[in-house]
Amino acid sequence: MSTYILGVESTAHTFSVSVVSSDGRILSNEKSIYKPAAGRGIHPFEASQHHLALAGTVLERAIRESGVGEEDLSAVAYAMGPGLGPCLRVGAVVARTLASSLAVPLVPVNHAVGHIELGCLLTGARDPVVLLVSGGHTMVIAYSGGRWRILGEGLDLTLGQLLDQFGRHAGLASPCGAAVEAAASKSSSYHRLPYSVKGNDVSFSGLLTAAKEKLDAGVSFESVSFSIQETAFAMVTEVTERALAFTGKSELMVVGGVAANARLAGMMTTMAARHSARANLAPVSYSGDCGAQIAWTGSLAFASGVQVPVSDADVRQSWRLDTVDIPWRN
Amino acid sequence: MTQSTYPGGTEKPPGSLIYRGAEADILQGTWVGRPAIFKVRKPLPYRLPELDSGIRRQRTAHEATIMHSARKAGVQVPWLYRVDMPGTTLVMEHVYGERLKERVGDSAESSRLFRALGQDVARLHAAGITHGDITTANVIVRRKELVLIDFGLASRSSRLEDRAVDLRLIKETLVGAHARVATRAFEALLEGYSVEAGGREAEAAVTQLRSIERRGRYARVT
Ligand SMILES: Nc1ncnc2c1ncn2[C@@H]1O[C@H](COP(=O)(O)OP(=O)(O)O)[C@@H](O)[C@H]1O
Ligand SMILES: [Mg+2]
Repeated sequence: MSTYILGVESTAHTFSVSVVSSDGRILSNEKSIYKPAAGRGIHPFEASQHHLALAGTVLERAIRESGVGEEDLSAVAYAMGPGLGPCLRVGAVVARTLASSLAVPLVPVNHAVGHIELGCLLTGARDPVVLLVSGGHTMVIAYSGGRWRILGEGLDLTLGQLLDQFGRHAGLASPCGAAVEAAASKSSSYHRLPYSVKGNDVSFSGLLTAAKEKLDAGVSFESVSFSIQETAFAMVTEVTERALAFTGKSELMVVGGVAANARLAGMMTTMAARHSARANLAPVSYSGDCGAQIAWTGSLAFASGVQVPVSDADVRQSWRLDTVDIPWRN
Repeated sequence: MTQSTYPGGTEKPPGSLIYRGAEADILQGTWVGRPAIFKVRKPLPYRLPELDSGIRRQRTAHEATIMHSARKAGVQVPWLYRVDMPGTTLVMEHVYGERLKERVGDSAESSRLFRALGQDVARLHAAGITHGDITTANVIVRRKELVLIDFGLASRSSRLEDRAVDLRLIKETLVGAHARVATRAFEALLEGYSVEAGGREAEAAVTQLRSIERRGRYARVT
């Protein structure tokens, strides 16, 4: 018989709640996304106010939509970290309240593990080299010896931050990924930008500065968008390819908000083919932050006995992926 | 310069593919009658040609000159036989042995190899070279000695930051791919590094490494 788990995501822009069944059905996935004013970045406190204001509505919709009665929930999972303190705390409060009123266990979930495990559920990937690219992460990851291990990562900005900060410089509202992608698709004129790969790591700060300078010098937003995508995506594709060659694994998976970008997906698919590896791309509707990643990973963790007493259920802003034990993969 | 018929400028196909890396195909063949490795940087189909050809040429040229400097710094590297720029191919000595990747373990021998690697890295750093991609796949153990390869991402720098990035890379590979023995192996490496570079230099590099880790690891949403 399957059990039902509710998951709460609130690490950054998104407040989202989802209900899943232990056999991997996503029964609901409701969300509300905080949007800062044009040209500005996320303000953690404002974002948390947004989450707090909408928490009740989102929670209620997620339960109603799932068709599962509150009394049939076996556990409540929440994103304990990593993320922005004020935002994380809203999710933790909501989860604690619900778990104690229903008298069910509380399950802490690492947000990055959430992206990976949901990606595996949705794409059928079993043992992939993972590229996690979002506002909070740029990481190349593979499972070994009980944990998801980091094989490469961003040394300064994340890929999401690069696109956002570039878009904001052009006067757009965050998140800017979709607008940059749309603009890029209208150009094919490449302007040279710094390509910075250091072993398995990438650095985007020089690239961001140079791209802003191109804009300021009057190069069109479309051309600079095209150039920034071609450069940055080739960089992450190259380091993912290194990890694939190094580990000898035969599957690839791309998850996180930037996975929604068709050009990145195209590059990864082409690269995978060179190594006869299977490319698994997270469906666009689930690539960004959502409750389902927390509910599903919570379900896996709960089945392996992972829980946290309500009194210890706080948040961990810098909870690193490779410190999390993954008992369900052993 | 005329475009060579085959990578490496040979009249015949240089040999059989033994490894497909992230940026190069490694072929095994012969060069003037000797066993040789052909490292061919072929166009990467996902990368824009304008961007791709520049990177391949730059890395090929770079790898060749830095291999030369590394040898002068007292680090063992394969002998370079030929640089074919239009073909973005290096022809070099075939080093017979196992990659360090296959030798990593919790044995004393493994620690000895990492100490030796630390010494080599310090020698490179002292000569103003950062390797830029020191993984356990880029070190070949020939008999009891280490031979370093894959200098395409190397750079000439004496900056503390770049030396620390170099060390961080090794640590990242160890933690990512050899988690069980990572701590021990990295400690051995630092020991070797410090023997060669001196305690003060080593300490400065490790302190810088820590600060880089704090910067990169916990990238936040802003
Ligand atoms: N000179 C050489 N002798 C023996 N094996 C080599 C030599 N050069 C490369 N190889 C083998 O090919 C692999 C890939 O070569 P490398 O130069 O590291 O290219 P990549 O940049 O694709 O990693 C190495 O891990 C090693 O196994
Ligand atoms: Mg290599």
